[in-house]
Amino acid sequence: MKKVTFITVFAALCAFLAAGSIQASELDRFIGMKGKIDIAGGTAHIPVMNDAGKNIMKFNPDIRITVAGGGSGVGVQKVGEGLVDIGNTGRAVSEAEKSKYGLVSFPFAIDGVAVVVNPKNQVKELATEQIQKIFSGQVVNWKDVGGADAPIHLFTRDEASGTREVFWEKLLNKGDVAQSANIVASNGAMKVAVAGDPHAIGYLGIGHISKDVKAIVIDKVEPLQENAKSGVYRVTRNLYMNTKGQPTQLQQAFIDYILGPDGAEICKKYGYIPISE
Amino acid sequence: MNVRPEHALTFFSWLAAGIVMTAVFILIGYLLIKGLPIMSPALFFGDTPWRAAVMGIEPVFDGIYPAVAGTFILIACSSFIAIPVGVFCGIYLAEYARGPLKNIFSFMVDLLSGMPSIVMGLFGFALILLMRRTLYAQANTSILLSSACIALLILPYLIRMTQVALESLPESTRLLGPSLGYTRWQNIWHVLLPASSTATFSGIILSIGRAAEDTAVIMLTGVVANAGIPRALSDKFEALPFSIFYLTAEHRDELELQRAFGSALVLLTLTATLFLISYCIQRRFKRRWELGE
Amino acid sequence: MLFCALCITAVFGFLVYFSCPLLSNARGLAGIFSSVWKPFIGEFGILPMLAGTFSLAFLALVLACPLAIGITCFIQGLAPARPANAVRSLVYFMTSIPTVIYGFVAVFVLVPIIRDTFNRGAGFCLMTSAITLSMLIIPTMVITLEADMRQRAEEVRLGARSLGLTPAQELLWILLPCSGRGIVVAMVLGFGRAVGDTLVALMVAGNAPVIPQSLLDSIRTLTAHIALVVATDSQDQAYYSIFAAGLLLFLIMALLTVLIRTIGGRFGQREKRHERAS
Repeated sequence: MKKVTFITVFAALCAFLAAGSIQASELDRFIGMKGKIDIAGGTAHIPVMNDAGKNIMKFNPDIRITVAGGGSGVGVQKVGEGLVDIGNTGRAVSEAEKSKYGLVSFPFAIDGVAVVVNPKNQVKELATEQIQKIFSGQVVNWKDVGGADAPIHLFTRDEASGTREVFWEKLLNKGDVAQSANIVASNGAMKVAVAGDPHAIGYLGIGHISKDVKAIVIDKVEPLQENAKSGVYRVTRNLYMNTKGQPTQLQQAFIDYILGPDGAEICKKYGYIPISE
Repeated sequence: MNVRPEHALTFFSWLAAGIVMTAVFILIGYLLIKGLPIMSPALFFGDTPWRAAVMGIEPVFDGIYPAVAGTFILIACSSFIAIPVGVFCGIYLAEYARGPLKNIFSFMVDLLSGMPSIVMGLFGFALILLMRRTLYAQANTSILLSSACIALLILPYLIRMTQVALESLPESTRLLGPSLGYTRWQNIWHVLLPASSTATFSGIILSIGRAAEDTAVIMLTGVVANAGIPRALSDKFEALPFSIFYLTAEHRDELELQRAFGSALVLLTLTATLFLISYCIQRRFKRRWELGE
Repeated sequence: MLFCALCITAVFGFLVYFSCPLLSNARGLAGIFSSVWKPFIGEFGILPMLAGTFSLAFLALVLACPLAIGITCFIQGLAPARPANAVRSLVYFMTSIPTVIYGFVAVFVLVPIIRDTFNRGAGFCLMTSAITLSMLIIPTMVITLEADMRQRAEEVRLGARSLGLTPAQELLWILLPCSGRGIVVAMVLGFGRAVGDTLVALMVAGNAPVIPQSLLDSIRTLTAHIALVVATDSQDQAYYSIFAAGLLLFLIMALLTVLIRTIGGRFGQREKRHERAS
C-alpha cells in the first residue's frame, strides 16, 4: 500500500518536474489533500482568488474552491459566522471585529484606490479638494473642474465595500458622499459603469484599472502601483485574507500558496503589489 | 354615431401591439446577434476538452458549463420536492377541501404565489441562520437550500394548475369511477388524474421554467460566481441567471462579456423550449377537447 | 396542504422574528421609518426604498396599462385572426422570458439610449427601470384581461352583432366599459409583480437610497435593498432593516391578494346571482 502511494507521489512529482514549471513545486503542498474552501468578501481579491483556485483545482481535483464577492463587510461577517472559510477584506479588520469573531488576518498584497473617469473625459487631474466637492455633490458639472460642459455622474460603492472605506477615509476625509450617487456592488461593476458612461466618475482599486477607464492624477501624483508602494500615493490599503481562528491545514496551504511566489505572480498579473516585495 | 373614437381605439391597439412586439423582437434579436456568433465549445467548456468536462473528470474554468449544470441540478432538485407536494395539494383542493377550509387554503396559495421571490430567498437565508444558532451549527447556504426555496416559489403554480385541471374535467368523466364501483381515491388516481394529466403536465413544465429563471432566491441562498459543478447537495453552486446578473455588472474583459451573452442566450433557449413544449401540449389538449367532447 | 399553510406561517414568523429586535423598541422603529439611509453614521431609514418601490411600480403600471388594454383589444377582435393569434402567442411567450434577461438587455440597450437622450444622470434611473418593468408586467395584465374579456365577449357578441355594431364599436362601447373589474384586477396583479420584482430594479434602477424627485433619478427598491444589504454585518441594524423590508413586502403583497380576492369574490357572487335569476 505504502509503496503504491509512494509511486503515485513519485510519478506525480516526475510529471511536474518534467513540465519544468515553478508552479509544480509551489503546488506540491496540495498533494494528497482533500476538501473545500469557500471564499467570499472583497471584490478586488476575486481575480487573484479565481486564478489560484483554478491552478489548485487543476492540480488536485479533490480540492474544491468556491469564490464569491460581496465586499469586505461581507467577508468579515461570513467568515465570522462560519458561512465561508476565508473572508477577504480590502481594509484592515477592526479590533472590534477581531475580538468578536476571533479572526486571524493574512495581508497578501497592496492596492491603491484611484479615482477613475471615462477615457473620453478630457479631465486628467484633480486636486483632493475638487474630488471632495465632486463627491459631496457641491460640484455637479465637469466644466467647473476643467472639463466639458456636462453633468457629473457620481458612482459610489455599497456600505460593505472596503474600497469605499479606504477612499472615504483617506481621500474624502470621511466627508459626505451625495445621496443621489449611483451605487454599484463591486470593483468590477464600478469599472463597467464608468467605462460605459462618458460623464461618470468613480473609484477603483488600481489593480482593476485598464484601458477602459482613466485614472485621475491626484494632486500631481499619478495613481500607479509604484507610487503606492513608495508611499507617494497615499490612498492605499492592504488586501487581506481572514480566517476564523487559526486556519486548517488546507486553508493554511491555500494561504501559503497565495503568499508564495506563485501567488505573487498572480497578484502582479492583476496589478497588485505582492506584500512579499 | 361618432365614428372617430373607434378608429382611435383600433389605431391605438395596433400601436400598442406594435410597440410591444418591436420591443420583444429587439430583445430577442439583440441576444441572437450578439450571442450566436460566440456559441462554441470554448464558450461552454473553456479550455477543458468537452468529453472530460461532461463526464465530470476535469473541472471547467472560463466556461459556462458549470452554470448550465448548476441550473439543471437546481431544476431537478426543486421539481423533486415541489411536484409531489404541489400535485397532492392540488388534488386536495380540488377534490377534498370544502367550505371555509377550502377558502382559507386557497387564500394561502394565493398569498404564497404573490410572495416576491426575494422574500422567499430571505426566508431561506434566515432559516439557515436560525439553524446555525440552534440545531445544526454546520448548516450553510447550498444548492439544497436553494432548491427548497425555489420549490416553495413554484409550489403555488403547481397547486393551481393541478386544481384547475381537475376541476375543469366534465361531469361524465367525474362519474366514471363511481359507476365502476371505485372508491373516491381510486377514482382520483385511476380516472381523474390520467384524464387531467396533460393539463397538469403543462403546468409542471411551466413551473420548471420559473425554477430555471429565478435569480433573487438563489442569490440569497447559495449561488456563487465561481464554484465548478456541485458534487454534493451541500455544495455551493453556479447558475445561469446569476452568472448573467454577475457578469453584466462586472465583466473584466470582452471574453467575460461574451460569456454573459452566451449564458443569456442559453437560458432564453431553455425557458423558450420549456414554454413551447407546454404550449404545444396545451394546444393539442384543447383541440382534442373541442373535437372529442 | 397543511405543508403549504405551514410554509406561509413560517415565512411570516421568520420575518417578524428577525425584525423583532428592531421593531420592539421605539427608537429602532423610528429609525427604520426615517428617510435617511446612511449606515456609516447609524441612519437606517428604509422610507426611500419604500418610496422607490411605489414610484417604480406606479410608473411601470402607468406605462403598461394602456399598452396592455390596447393589446387585449387587438387580440379581442380589432385585428384579423392571424395577427391576433400571433400576438397572443407572443404575449404568452413573453411570460417565459427570464426577468434577468429583461434586465440584461436593458443595461446594454436601453440605458445608453436614456442617458444620451436626456443627457442627465447616468441612465440607471427610475424611468429606465419603469420601461423595462412594464415589459415584464404587460403579459400578466394582458392574459388576465383577455380571459375576463373573452368570457364577456361571448355573452354580448350576439346582441352586439344584432345591433349592427362593428367589432371596434362593440369593444369600445360595450366590452371595455363592462370590464372595469377585469382591468382593476389586471392592474393589481401587474402592480404586485412590479413590487415583487428584484432583478430589473437591481440591475437598472441605480440603487441610490434617495426619495426620487424626478424620472431620471437613481432609485432603490425594497427588493433591491434586501439583495444589496443581505450580507453585511449580521449584528448590525442595517441587517435587521432588510427583514423589516421583507416584512413590508410581505404585507403589501398580502394586502394586494386580499384586494384581488375581494374584487374577484364580489364579482363571482354577482355572477352567480345573475345565473340564478335567469
